Amino acid sequence: MNLSFREKSLWIQATGLVVAFGLYFWQVRDVPGPDVGPGLVGLFIAVVVLLVLFQVVGHAVAAMADRRTEPDERDRRISLVGDRMGGLVLGCAVFASLCVALAIPGNFAFTHVLLAGWVAAELAGIATQIVLQRRGA
Amino acid sequence: MGKSGGRLGNDLRALRLAHGAMSQQELADRIGVTRQTVNAIEGNKYSPSLEVAFRIARVFGVTIERALRPRRGGSSG
Repeated sequence: MNLSFREKSLWIQATGLVVAFGLYFWQVRDVPGPDVGPGLVGLFIAVVVLLVLFQVVGHAVAAMADRRTEPDERDRRISLVGDRMGGLVLGCAVFASLCVALAIPGNFAFTHVLLAGWVAAELAGIATQIVLQRRGA
Repeated sequence: MGKSGGRLGNDLRALRLAHGAMSQQELADRIGVTRQTVNAIEGNKYSPSLEVAFRIARVFGVTIERALRPRRGGSSG
């Protein structure tokens, strides 16, 4: 499959999110207690650093393999549609996290539903852009 | 993107071939878009902005109507 730099970039972003936050949620699945502790904050920071490193290295490799082009009007339009989809998912996630905050004591469940929602929103936006880039939009 | 009825048809492929078999990349460079966008326009999957339409017409030395046209069944206004 012949991918443009922009498509490669989207795949790198999606892969980074899945790997980094997949690891994070795998690590926190058995954490006891209703609140977020200092250990989790450290883990979260480590995941964010991992994500940033993955993105930087991934984009550097993609840029070496492909001619990087500035986004044109179609790319910008696709990006806007992706952002709109991501916004919809994020809105639902915020509502769900508010419901969780009311129903479950402590901040652990609330923050993690919100975080999972943000990751899902990012992935939904990226997936939308990948589909539109492939379809020709 | 956009509704299928509103997309434009075009003769870009024929115009490219008539202009020294110009490649999609070459046309893309001259009108300031990516090769993927030229490919999407040629495949009637993307309707370019008026600005890009003018650039396409200028590159081939034709009117916009010669390069791009409403598809049959699409709304022509």
